[in-house]
Amino acid sequence: MSNHQILNPADHADLRVHTGAGSELGDGIMATLAVPSEFRRLACEYPILFRHDPASGGFTALALLGFEDGENLFLDGNEWRASLKPLSIAIRPFLVGRSREAGGPGQVHIDIDHPRVSTSGEGTLVFDEAGRPTPFLEEIAAMLGALDEGHRASGAFFAALDRYDLIEPFALDVAMPDGGQHRLVGYHHIHEEKLAALEPGALAELHAGGHLAPAHAALTSLGNLAKLARRKAERARG
Amino acid sequence: MVGTVTEAAIERVVIVGGGTAGWLSAATLAARLPHLSIALVEAPDIPTVGVGEGTWPTMRETLRAIGIAEGEFLAECGASFKQGSRFDGWTTGAAGDSYFHPFTPPPLSSSSGGVPRALLAAWREDRAGASFAETMSAQAAACARDLAPRQRAMPEYSGALNYAYHLDAGAFARLLARHATGRLGVRHVAGEVVAVEAAENGDVAAVRLRGGEKLTGELFLDCSGHAALLIGGHCAVRWVDRSDASPNDRALAVQVPVLPGSAIASQTVATAHEAGWLWDIGLPSRRGIGCVYSSGFLGDERADAILRDYVRARVPGAGVEALAPRLLRFGAGHRDSFWRGNVIAIGQAAGFIEPLEASAIVMVELSLRALVENFPASRAVMDVHARRFDALFRYRWDRIVDFLKLHYALSRRDEPYWRAQRDPAGFSPTLADQLALWRDQPPSAWDLPQVDEVFSAASQAYVYYGMGLPVPERLSATPDATARLAEVRARERALAASLPTNRAYLDAATAQAA
Repeated sequence: MSNHQILNPADHADLRVHTGAGSELGDGIMATLAVPSEFRRLACEYPILFRHDPASGGFTALALLGFEDGENLFLDGNEWRASLKPLSIAIRPFLVGRSREAGGPGQVHIDIDHPRVSTSGEGTLVFDEAGRPTPFLEEIAAMLGALDEGHRASGAFFAALDRYDLIEPFALDVAMPDGGQHRLVGYHHIHEEKLAALEPGALAELHAGGHLAPAHAALTSLGNLAKLARRKAERARG
Repeated sequence: MVGTVTEAAIERVVIVGGGTAGWLSAATLAARLPHLSIALVEAPDIPTVGVGEGTWPTMRETLRAIGIAEGEFLAECGASFKQGSRFDGWTTGAAGDSYFHPFTPPPLSSSSGGVPRALLAAWREDRAGASFAETMSAQAAACARDLAPRQRAMPEYSGALNYAYHLDAGAFARLLARHATGRLGVRHVAGEVVAVEAAENGDVAAVRLRGGEKLTGELFLDCSGHAALLIGGHCAVRWVDRSDASPNDRALAVQVPVLPGSAIASQTVATAHEAGWLWDIGLPSRRGIGCVYSSGFLGDERADAILRDYVRARVPGAGVEALAPRLLRFGAGHRDSFWRGNVIAIGQAAGFIEPLEASAIVMVELSLRALVENFPASRAVMDVHARRFDALFRYRWDRIVDFLKLHYALSRRDEPYWRAQRDPAGFSPTLADQLALWRDQPPSAWDLPQVDEVFSAASQAYVYYGMGLPVPERLSATPDATARLAEVRARERALAASLPTNRAYLDAATAQAA
């Protein structure tokens, strides 16, 4: 269960947060939210896939971390073996909250029941003795801002792809260490040939909207699927 | 001529005496030179002298080389982190008189530890109200908050700040003994040395134990402490008295239990009193507190009162009446030679001086480092090694005496003891020269030309400017120096947020080890 609170120096003066990695800190997950503005950064490490949300009718993007529930192949004990982390991972246990008036400024919320919230006196402080944000919280706040902005911009990204009918169901068989195949199903991705065949006006429009670069980055990121399978094979060998 | 005495390989090492010096020697030699066959003979019931409870940062590399995990060391030795020393009351004795000597050197310092002049100027121009230590290192602020120098998730023996340890010396010797005998193949012989058998050339051929057992070897380490059985007894090497420069000759020591959950200090606290100073070393379960003094200036009863007053004022909830301080008598000095024939003196057998800068254990480490890296292949080259070893350690003892004297020479306290301590008659020519030059130029590698100086120029600067001496005139800051000092401030903020307190760290580590 999560328990969200508005972060503030009065209630959270001594709050410390574990910044390391580990399944005991909630890192044992197979996928995490990704936003188009970070696709280019993520594309060097993570496969980026899309998922259709029948409730909202829209799409969201995910960075794939493993092939099965609870499997995070970037996690090796207490090490996260990648040059960077997706924003949605890096900001935990914080999240963006909003005041009741629509369009109000974002607030930093915290899930106080998250395993990253420390009770041992170890971990990083969020506020200093004077109640000012620590450099750690400043960094978190910047990432929350980027994630929030990226999240809000992602609707336009998927709408633009949809407009040119570039999103298609995606399935892939990944060779597994035991010799079998793992079939990734239920995802969507960009139709590469259709994207390549777009007429110049359409390409220019995508580019002007800032959608072309993330679209290419998402396509590029699919090369990481084979790398992820290799991580799984290495893990199986021990 | 194969097989003569002079060409025989050095394979059997006999260590006389246990304690920190003996067991550290045994473990280091066994780990670094595994071809040696090492025996340590130790009288079963010789109590260890409980003063050497602070180490230097070198101990991290020493422990790693020996093969002891940091978590095991901390738990077994009831240890805590030491990040420097704080000197209260040394300059004037007035309220608030305090300076800090952190282990982390100033930014831009060269490996020999010289503090760039532009940095001194930037301190004066940009941060005139701040102390030298808090300007030059984020460590001062971390220690003021009782923070640990590292997080448990970091690789062992590495930290965000440079650090050493405070430890229970008895437990440390026991851990080293277990490790050396159980994992490194050192033979432990319980017995008392009653006689030395000499070889024709005057070397030690064997030591004979009560009960008749005989230990033979090619190399003998004298770790017998004050008794100095081999270097003082058999070799009759003269003791060089240094009490002219270092007159403190007594200490009253106590262990005071602390409350669970109480703060653990990040540094040794040395508090000046009318005729000496008090040490205060915080461990998770207790504080080691001692009153060091010169018997020529202070009676034992008055020292006892000073000690109790300190405990009453500084240790919350301590039962002062029940304390039974132990009186230690010592003299400052060292052997005229540390390596004679096939005997090397290590630890207190080599020399002793008041524990103001925790030089006892580091001198053991430095002796072992010199020995391991210059281990004699045969008797034929031993005298060459001995001459070099003697020259190096005579130099080091001189520098230690000078550096300790510096703490007194700069004081402006008014009591007779303090005036006598800063009488230039007690200064070595080297120290007198340095004091003359440092008015015009900061301590630098020009003052301390050896590759491995015991006390770097940065250490000298922390004391010199910590005690309020002025920086030379006509220095000017550079943008780079100003920027580096700003980086120290940023690092201070980041570390204040990310480092746990010593208490939180050590309690969590203990819980994990249990």
